[in-house]
Amino acid sequence: MSDIVVEMEGISKRFPGVEALDKVDFSCREGEVHALVGENGAGKSTLMKILNRAYLQDAGKIMLRGQEVFLSGPKEAQDHGISTIYQEFNLIPELNVAENIFLGREIKKWKGFVIDPSCARKRSEELLAKLEADIDPRSKISELSVAQQQMVEIGKALSLNASIIIMDEPSASVSGKELDSLFRIIRSLRDDGKAVIYISHHLDEIFEIANRATVLKDGKLAGIVAVKDVDKQSIIKMMVGRPLAETFPRKERGTRKEILALKNVCRGKMLRDISFRAYSGEILGITGLVGSGRTELARVIFGADSFDSGEIYLNGQNIVKSKPKTSISNGVGYLTEDRKKEGLINNSSVRKNLTLLILEEIKKLLFINERRERSLAENCIEKFNIMTPSSEQEVQYLSGGNQQKVILAKCLNANPRLLILDEPTRGIDVGAKAEMYNLMRDLAKQGAAILMISSELPEVLGMSDRILVMHEGQIMGELSSSEATEENIMMMATGQTHGNRKIGETLEPEIP
Amino acid sequence: MATGKLERHLNLRFLKKNRTVIGVYLVLIVLFLFSSLMSDVFLTPRNVSNVLRQAVVLGFVSLGQTLVILTAGIDLSVGSVISLTSCLTAGTILGRDSLAIPAVGLVLALALLIGFCNGFFITRTGVPSLIVTLGTMEIIQGITLTYTDEPYGQISPNFGFLAWGQVGAIPFPVLLLAGSFALGIFVLRRRAFGRHIYAVGGNEEAARLSGIKTDRVKIYTYMICSFTAALTGLLLAARMGIGDPRAGEPFMLECLVPVLIGGTSLMGGKGGLLGTIAGVFILTILNNILNLMEVSGYWQWVVQGVIIIGAVAFYVKERE
Repeated sequence: MSDIVVEMEGISKRFPGVEALDKVDFSCREGEVHALVGENGAGKSTLMKILNRAYLQDAGKIMLRGQEVFLSGPKEAQDHGISTIYQEFNLIPELNVAENIFLGREIKKWKGFVIDPSCARKRSEELLAKLEADIDPRSKISELSVAQQQMVEIGKALSLNASIIIMDEPSASVSGKELDSLFRIIRSLRDDGKAVIYISHHLDEIFEIANRATVLKDGKLAGIVAVKDVDKQSIIKMMVGRPLAETFPRKERGTRKEILALKNVCRGKMLRDISFRAYSGEILGITGLVGSGRTELARVIFGADSFDSGEIYLNGQNIVKSKPKTSISNGVGYLTEDRKKEGLINNSSVRKNLTLLILEEIKKLLFINERRERSLAENCIEKFNIMTPSSEQEVQYLSGGNQQKVILAKCLNANPRLLILDEPTRGIDVGAKAEMYNLMRDLAKQGAAILMISSELPEVLGMSDRILVMHEGQIMGELSSSEATEENIMMMATGQTHGNRKIGETLEPEIP
Repeated sequence: MATGKLERHLNLRFLKKNRTVIGVYLVLIVLFLFSSLMSDVFLTPRNVSNVLRQAVVLGFVSLGQTLVILTAGIDLSVGSVISLTSCLTAGTILGRDSLAIPAVGLVLALALLIGFCNGFFITRTGVPSLIVTLGTMEIIQGITLTYTDEPYGQISPNFGFLAWGQVGAIPFPVLLLAGSFALGIFVLRRRAFGRHIYAVGGNEEAARLSGIKTDRVKIYTYMICSFTAALTGLLLAARMGIGDPRAGEPFMLECLVPVLIGGTSLMGGKGGLLGTIAGVFILTILNNILNLMEVSGYWQWVVQGVIIIGAVAFYVKERE
């Protein structure tokens, strides 16, 4: 029988204005993959940050192997075998792989007088070989792909002889084959008797990998279940407190008019000979593996990057050289993939973020009309159901789903006719996802053209009226929503088949 | 040949990894050749030792400043520490050899305390280093000017060794600087503390979560920075024979120039002392040759400004 390694009892934590955790219990056994699920803001990350002592709880106790512990800091948590792999990796970009793996506990020689890089390199090599990861320990982190960085993080956890490994949304940054090898590693860690705590939004993954799941809702414990005894619906019910099918709004279209047309657009190696059209009233899904050129395509259309050759027509007008500013005034809205980096002014208020694109409109003579700005912001908050204490709250303190709503509301304030959404539901919870889907469909019905870039196939299939599949900077083909399946999308996305139509010959969408 | 191939591979790697530093040294060599061609005086022993002595003064402050900048901080109080040290040393010694060592001990301890205060306030209050050290700069400058508002004191004959002494053919201060940089480079590369400096500057949160006591690392770098500034103050006092309450003023910003030319990023985590020492010599030789060519001091400022912007623009471009 497996022993309980971690036990947390009655953990409470308050942040200014939020009860992040309220008397939560948690436990994890040796040789178990334990999933921690819950909507964004449910307190999953906070609970784990208390376990690894990045935060200190207000109440409650932590027991490791039956003994109550009082850890003084992340270092001591590490010494107790707790290791965390964060969603945003904690690697130093300018140091190399080996230096990162042994950061904070450098291998030394000459009685501890100097560090020993060659030994660190050798041991890193062994660790990475164990993970079957082909990474040179001398490479700088900044030269590695995201999946490789994740491997380095796992290697680092192993080098710590961690017995408790916390993985915060590990699948957010990898896809396809990389995800399979991640799962393979997790299984082998489990079989080695480690306790793996797996935080994720993706219920499919949880059913594939986890033994038990702890469900949190609004900082409270909603339930602990053995995964094999339950189904998705019952977990979703626990997470949101109401049954909520992962259903998509009915595909209804608005009036159809050509909004955007690309002809043979190229940009370096990232975009090769891209041609397609997008129409008002429909959602055009663009999918492909990470790095297939989807985001590059979005940036070129928005004018954030230039293109080398080809033509782009927006509302029938040839766009020669576009800048974000002209794109916005031409009615293009762009929701970026990386909220924190590109989408929000993090330390500014919700109000100021919401009105960033329309300052010209709310100007009174030379000054911003604050009263008008405030009422506009209040309207948005109500209309989009943004959960925030007030319009003055700094946007960085909102949950991921609410941040995403702020960005969408910000784009919509400028009345875009073409909306580019890059991974619109990444990192947001089931409830907020459903809200996003309904909003997107409403916008299409009202006559906007929507380009939805997504790696989540159920979402692509469920939302798109037409689907473009990209692979290595090319459009491999186009599928109507009736002919698309996960299989034929994956075949194209991995470059194994082309669509049966020639590239650039755009299929007429079915008229409902 | 397998070994030849391996060697080539290693060399390429070395070149690639160090191409910034190699670039800086190429610039230094070109400047050196240019200077020896442009002026007959440049390579005379007298001028060479002059250049070296000037480089030493700038070198010490820049050493400490490099470490602080590597942690993504900045220390603006170095200039005032230099002034204070120079006045306090000369003012305490007043020509008495017996007081030379106690005076040096006193000012170095004081410098460490100032550095500790800088680091302590920066890490505890979260006030940016720019502001904290701007504050300490004003406080120390005020105290120094209260102590004396004109050049004051007198050094002792033995204390003068610090500036004028020779060890064999090499001026003592040059040896001291070379030793300090060698030690600094060693610590940055081969001691865990050095690694931690890069980690704190590269991603502080990640460093903290790796179990590094980031606050302590930062406090130490500010202490080292004040300490090296105090060494500069001691050298200036020894060279001038008297304490000058305004001796440090030009160094407040000038010590940033070699650091930036040497390829250390103000954002932290990138760069190192090898670049800084080259930066020190580029700057000193440049000023020297412009002097020898009888270019006005004001034009030297213009040239310096162009070089800073040009160098940093180059690094930014290269890192893209």
